[in-house]
Amino acid sequence: MQIPAYLLIGLFLPLFPLSMGFNFVLGRSRYALLRILLLLIWPQIGLTLLQTLDSPVPDWVVPLALFTAALYALRALALRDVGQWSGFLATSAWALLWIAIQGDVTILQLHLFALGFSAPLVLLALLGAGLERRFGAAYTGLYGGLTESIPRFSAILVLVVLAIIATPLFPTFFIMLATVMQAVTLMPLVAVVVAFVWLLWSWAGARLLQGLIVGPTNAEGIFDLNRLATGAYALGLILLVAGGLYGIGGLL
Amino acid sequence: MTLPLGQQLKIRTMIYVAGEPIPFFWPMRSFIHHNPLHGLEHLPFPEAVATGAQLFHGRGFLSRQEHQRYLAQNKVAHTALVAGIDEFLVQQPSIPGIDLPHWLMTLLTRTTQPVMRANTLADANHVHAVIQRTEHLDATLDPDTLTAMLHDSLLGACPLYEAVDRLYGTGIGTELDELVIKSCLDFFDEGQSVWHMPGRKQGLFSAWRELALRNARLFVRGLHIERILENEPHPEGVIASVMTELGIPEDKWVSCFSRELSRLHGWAGFIRWRANAKHYYWGQRYPADLVDFLAIRLTLALALLAERSRQRIATDRGALENLIQTRPRETWLRHELHSGAVLPAYAQRVEQTLARGRAKPIEKCFDDFVRAKCHHDAEDQATRLQQLAATADASTSLEALTAAQLESLMQVLQQFEDAEGMLWLRAMESHAMETVLRDVNLAPPAPRDKRPFAQALFCIDTRSERIRRQLESAGDYQTFGIAGFFGIPISFMELGKGSEAHLCPVLLKPKNLVLEMAATAPEDVAATTALEKVLHELKESVFTPYVTVEAIGMLFGFDMIGKTFMPQSYNRWRQRLYRDKPSTHLLLDKLDREQADSIVRAVQRAVVAKAIEQEFELEPEAITDDMVRELREAALGHAARAPALGEALALTPETEQTFIQRLRSVYRIEPAFAQLQMEQLARIGFSLDEQTNFVSQALHSIGLNREFSRFILLVGHGSTSENNPYESALDCGACGGNHGLINARALAQMGNNPRVRQRLRAQGIAIPDDAWFLPALHDTTTDEIKLFDLDRLPSSHVVYLDRLRSGLTGASRMCAQERLPQLQLVPEECDPAEANQHARRNAMDWSQVRPEWGLSGNAYFIIGRRQLTRHLSLDGRAFLHSYDYRADPKRRLLESILTGPLVVGQWINMEHYFSTVDNERFGSGSKVYHNVAGRFGVMTGNLSDLRTGLPAQTVLDQGHPYHQPIRLITVIEAPYEHACRAIEEVATVKNLVRNGWVRLLIIDPDKNTAHIYDHNDWQSRSLSGSNPDEQPMESTAS
Repeated sequence: MQIPAYLLIGLFLPLFPLSMGFNFVLGRSRYALLRILLLLIWPQIGLTLLQTLDSPVPDWVVPLALFTAALYALRALALRDVGQWSGFLATSAWALLWIAIQGDVTILQLHLFALGFSAPLVLLALLGAGLERRFGAAYTGLYGGLTESIPRFSAILVLVVLAIIATPLFPTFFIMLATVMQAVTLMPLVAVVVAFVWLLWSWAGARLLQGLIVGPTNAEGIFDLNRLATGAYALGLILLVAGGLYGIGGLL
Repeated sequence: MTLPLGQQLKIRTMIYVAGEPIPFFWPMRSFIHHNPLHGLEHLPFPEAVATGAQLFHGRGFLSRQEHQRYLAQNKVAHTALVAGIDEFLVQQPSIPGIDLPHWLMTLLTRTTQPVMRANTLADANHVHAVIQRTEHLDATLDPDTLTAMLHDSLLGACPLYEAVDRLYGTGIGTELDELVIKSCLDFFDEGQSVWHMPGRKQGLFSAWRELALRNARLFVRGLHIERILENEPHPEGVIASVMTELGIPEDKWVSCFSRELSRLHGWAGFIRWRANAKHYYWGQRYPADLVDFLAIRLTLALALLAERSRQRIATDRGALENLIQTRPRETWLRHELHSGAVLPAYAQRVEQTLARGRAKPIEKCFDDFVRAKCHHDAEDQATRLQQLAATADASTSLEALTAAQLESLMQVLQQFEDAEGMLWLRAMESHAMETVLRDVNLAPPAPRDKRPFAQALFCIDTRSERIRRQLESAGDYQTFGIAGFFGIPISFMELGKGSEAHLCPVLLKPKNLVLEMAATAPEDVAATTALEKVLHELKESVFTPYVTVEAIGMLFGFDMIGKTFMPQSYNRWRQRLYRDKPSTHLLLDKLDREQADSIVRAVQRAVVAKAIEQEFELEPEAITDDMVRELREAALGHAARAPALGEALALTPETEQTFIQRLRSVYRIEPAFAQLQMEQLARIGFSLDEQTNFVSQALHSIGLNREFSRFILLVGHGSTSENNPYESALDCGACGGNHGLINARALAQMGNNPRVRQRLRAQGIAIPDDAWFLPALHDTTTDEIKLFDLDRLPSSHVVYLDRLRSGLTGASRMCAQERLPQLQLVPEECDPAEANQHARRNAMDWSQVRPEWGLSGNAYFIIGRRQLTRHLSLDGRAFLHSYDYRADPKRRLLESILTGPLVVGQWINMEHYFSTVDNERFGSGSKVYHNVAGRFGVMTGNLSDLRTGLPAQTVLDQGHPYHQPIRLITVIEAPYEHACRAIEEVATVKNLVRNGWVRLLIIDPDKNTAHIYDHNDWQSRSLSGSNPDEQPMESTAS
């Protein structure tokens, strides 16, 4: 009974190959709202299901979770579709929740961690929809130099990607820091792998931005974010920083 | 295996031909303005621009939006646009219901983006269906068309790896460029790196080969270079074997080589120049040429292709041909995806379908994609046409067109947009020509009752125009324009330097060497200089930098703060720490045989004395003259022995003979070397005849052969800026990118020589005894003019110096006041003193990316009397060369101006033109990202092609052109026949004019007419004051 239950949870707190389920569903979701809901709810379902089990997490889950996180982070390096990229980063990040579970973390904190990973991805989903509206697809390498053609949009996109790849001040940074610190005391090798995954995220983020933000622009008649939308995104980012510093960061 | 000599020569010849379109790139220490399309000057301008665009992937004209900005600023002749449209339409069919002149004018002036799409799948029928809102026509792409398109794109002249990149997104081209750049940086370094590449003396290919065969990093990356290099020691052999292995037919090699070289045209241009510069120290020491460069490039390309072939992709020509034939649909989808042409909405589907590799889904994806792309293209094209029609108030006319008529319209629009750049260019030039024709003054100068207080000869440089105008308005000054090297090609060896600098246009090779000699006794090295040397060595060592930073890093911090916040006062304080350069004289007079012999003997004696001191550790006072004389005689073979030394030191005859032998072999005291020294000494200075000729030529060429003033200023120019790799670009182009002071000093010294004046008198140039040639330097960044060699000034002139200085200071300040608002450093209404203060600060500010606008804005080259434009403010846009045709009945002087200064002016103009129209490709992009490479060039970031051309800060102002890119409008003030015959005599200029690289305008003051060369013919018109637009243009009978 225990293994089927973990397999079910492994669908929502992604473990390879069950992780393909989430990416399949996300890939099929055409509407931004649906994608946002998926990004927000998916790991929360996993954590809720996890609470229903009273046994400790089996040992084989940790290496599988690490493998999943590393695999999706590595694959994200070669991706050009922004939607797919956010799905892979989400998979990689949520898989690391299995490591956090091993430590001394309450279930509330785990829910917050999942939310912390999801929130910037939600912003990216919105920005991805914006790119689709402007260019026909959110896909790198086909158009570049956004910084020249749509500077406000570019600035927000850069900050959101930085939030996703766990740059300091954002909640993801504190979650990753907590995960690594816990792993160092319990399983040093695991800490090294988590740090490696973190590094891969940074690399993947840099590659994504490299394909969109810099370079010559060939965009004609593309409209930038209006002030209201820019303000809303900025507010979202400020909330993320505040959540990082005073929420998740404050809990640690 | 070594390639036969004949084959080797054939390959060398092919590469020579392939390299012809690549422009030279001179080291930036002496920046030379050049035309980036110099290698295509044999073609008419529009054709060369099209070829250049293909080869260098650069734009040849400004965008329509920028042209429209100029139109709004009234810098484009509207009448010329109308005439251009009419001329274009003569060869086009008429289309019922379409007012083509109106449509085309609307397109030019009221539409910002191109109307016609390139590379579209939609034809006129598809577009027609969209306009008529009828059902979409089905879109198909038949296999033959598809195969032909793929052949054209992938198997044309492009290198094979580019085709592979376009199909698989492998990025081989980028990786290859990086590897080649790294190799070039290693080899060509001129002292920037502390550790040098070994074996450089063997040449580029050999040195690289030695390293590459042992390069573990290449091996780890899976690049097995040794397989390519092991059997081929020579670069030609490597090139032949790689091209054969890649399956490229020999008839395509030249075009393929050209494409290879143009990918890194900065490096290729530098290597090409270096291989041709016989005097270049680094080139002599570490030889390299394009054959070496190409061999390295092709070897690495083949290795990268071989490495990628392990991913089971097509990496040779045969495999690509097979792929196109057997799987054209898949190949086309790949091409669309990786060349960036795919519809964004399809990108993911195409990528995933190709990744799965199943035939049926690929075919389905292909069909869907072709349909979608065709619809998308048709919709987009129709929208653009509808927008144009709406702007032209002709929407109903567009809708009324049949498919065939629409096709005609689309063809006309396509051809017009292709020709649009030239049309705008000609209209801008037309406006610029009208401006000068409207305002020139053809009246002869009023007779003077006394000579001017001072005459000043300035460089023809556009920046001299302002200071000349201000000086003329400051008092009784007469100014002249002459090429800034004053007609004297000098090879100059500066005091304390061991190498020669050529102070003349790069078109000339100087024969005479001028040495700078200290006029005061040598001084000890200043403490600051010694300290700087120690610091430099500490920084260059492997370990000491860590300690140095900790120990004295704070000092550098102070330096930084001083330079940043108080540049002027801090730099002034710093300069006080250094000793001033001692007063110097130029060694200008040629040595006679006896003097040269005496110098060689003196040097030999000094060397022998030093050798005795070093070899036998004798004190100088123990070395007698007899010893030295005997040893010198013996070493030169004039005597068998040198007994004085033997006796003094009790040497055996064998030891004595050994030392004599050492004097010959080590210390070069031997007849052959003495002969060489005599030849070197023969290069020093100018004979009296040469000096007379140079002075005479300079004065004649500007029409100054009488009414000499008390002061004849020879004003060279240079610039001052901090932290600026492009500093030399702001110096004098006629002096090979150096300051013009030395040439001014040389001509002044010659002109003040009584023996030269005596000979000039015999030629009809009577320079009065109280006329004095005085050298000066115009600092174009601060506008200051500083006088030199005042120690030689006769005492009779000293009393007038104050008046001269105050005139010069006034002119400098007024010039700064006029110029600085354009740099946006001061407001428009600032006073001269404030402007001067800002200009001086600007020259010392190390954060300033634009110390001055330099030659930006250049538009005219005016050859004529000053009277012609003296009353005009030309805003520093004109090269002004003084010329009086009355003093040149045989046209020799005019031919000389056309041959040298005009050609240099055209290079400068074209450099600015192309740097403006496409700053990223033909210019060097933003200075902000520049890094100095190897001490001879700059790169963008840490690794890029050498950036040729001018930076954005020189030609652009907030992203828009500051320099108006037009071809050089050359104005010759002379009778029509006189000027025409001179042009016909100078083949280079004749070709430039006929091919449209310069616009030529002859102003005939005798007949009061202007003659413009246009459309391969001379057009003439009267200059009698009526509205130029109403003036009839007539073809001039030739």
